[in-house]
Amino acid sequence: MKSIWKYIKKETWSPYIAGVLLGLVGVLAVWLSNSLLGASGAFENLAGLIGQAVAPNLFDNLYFNFIMPPGITTGVILLIGVFFGGMLASATSGTLKWGKKDAANSDEQWKSIFGPQTWKRWVLGFVGAIILEYGAGIAGGCTSGLAISGGMLLAPAAFLFIAGMFASGIVTTMIIYRRRF
Amino acid sequence: MSTTIIVLFVGLFFGFSLNKAGLTKYNKIVNAFRFTDMAVLKYMLTALVVSMSGLYALRGLGLITFPNVPATYIVGNLVGGLVFGIGMALTGY
Repeated sequence: MKSIWKYIKKETWSPYIAGVLLGLVGVLAVWLSNSLLGASGAFENLAGLIGQAVAPNLFDNLYFNFIMPPGITTGVILLIGVFFGGMLASATSGTLKWGKKDAANSDEQWKSIFGPQTWKRWVLGFVGAIILEYGAGIAGGCTSGLAISGGMLLAPAAFLFIAGMFASGIVTTMIIYRRRF
Repeated sequence: MSTTIIVLFVGLFFGFSLNKAGLTKYNKIVNAFRFTDMAVLKYMLTALVVSMSGLYALRGLGLITFPNVPATYIVGNLVGGLVFGIGMALTGY
């Protein structure tokens, strides 16, 4: 029992063990609540909700009416759970840096590539996230919503998405890292 | 209401396993694209193997029906994946 608790407190688990946990969670999600894991859709649901309140004409289109209906969906609730789950996990491994100075940018590899400034990371994160979410919108899901949830139902879409994701991810990383690739 | 609580707990464990696998770190994600750290792939594919065998076994037993399977539209999935990869490599999330 003690060794299990000790393992839970480790900062990084073996990816195989964490993967088994996610696999079981994915099965339970379908079994108990008949829903799939996913993260990107929730942002679109929330964006639609805000958009319809602020500019109803602009958001009265096919995408927000039929493909991604706005509202507090299961995806949004799932995302709240993900937030606190991640927080809980980092609290157990003792890496929860609440309000500490280097909390916003503590990744050594990131600093060696882009520089130590925190604002750079915020800007890059913001711009990258727009691209990422746009891509997820076109494909119909993100890494969790399409690649993992779709993959476990053996949907062809998931494997096409994974292929595209890795192809452009590798090329982009090559461009950023150049000789340090 | 009970579904809400279940989904909340599912999310809790989802976030927990993501964090413990190190997928919330920039270097893990980007190093997968540099072929120096394959934790992302090991994690994703282990999860896939476990959940697909679990789901198909449960469907075979008639305990569950599959929810809406993500639609396949070849150009959309592929182009979306390509755009997504750029963002993923930039942010590392």
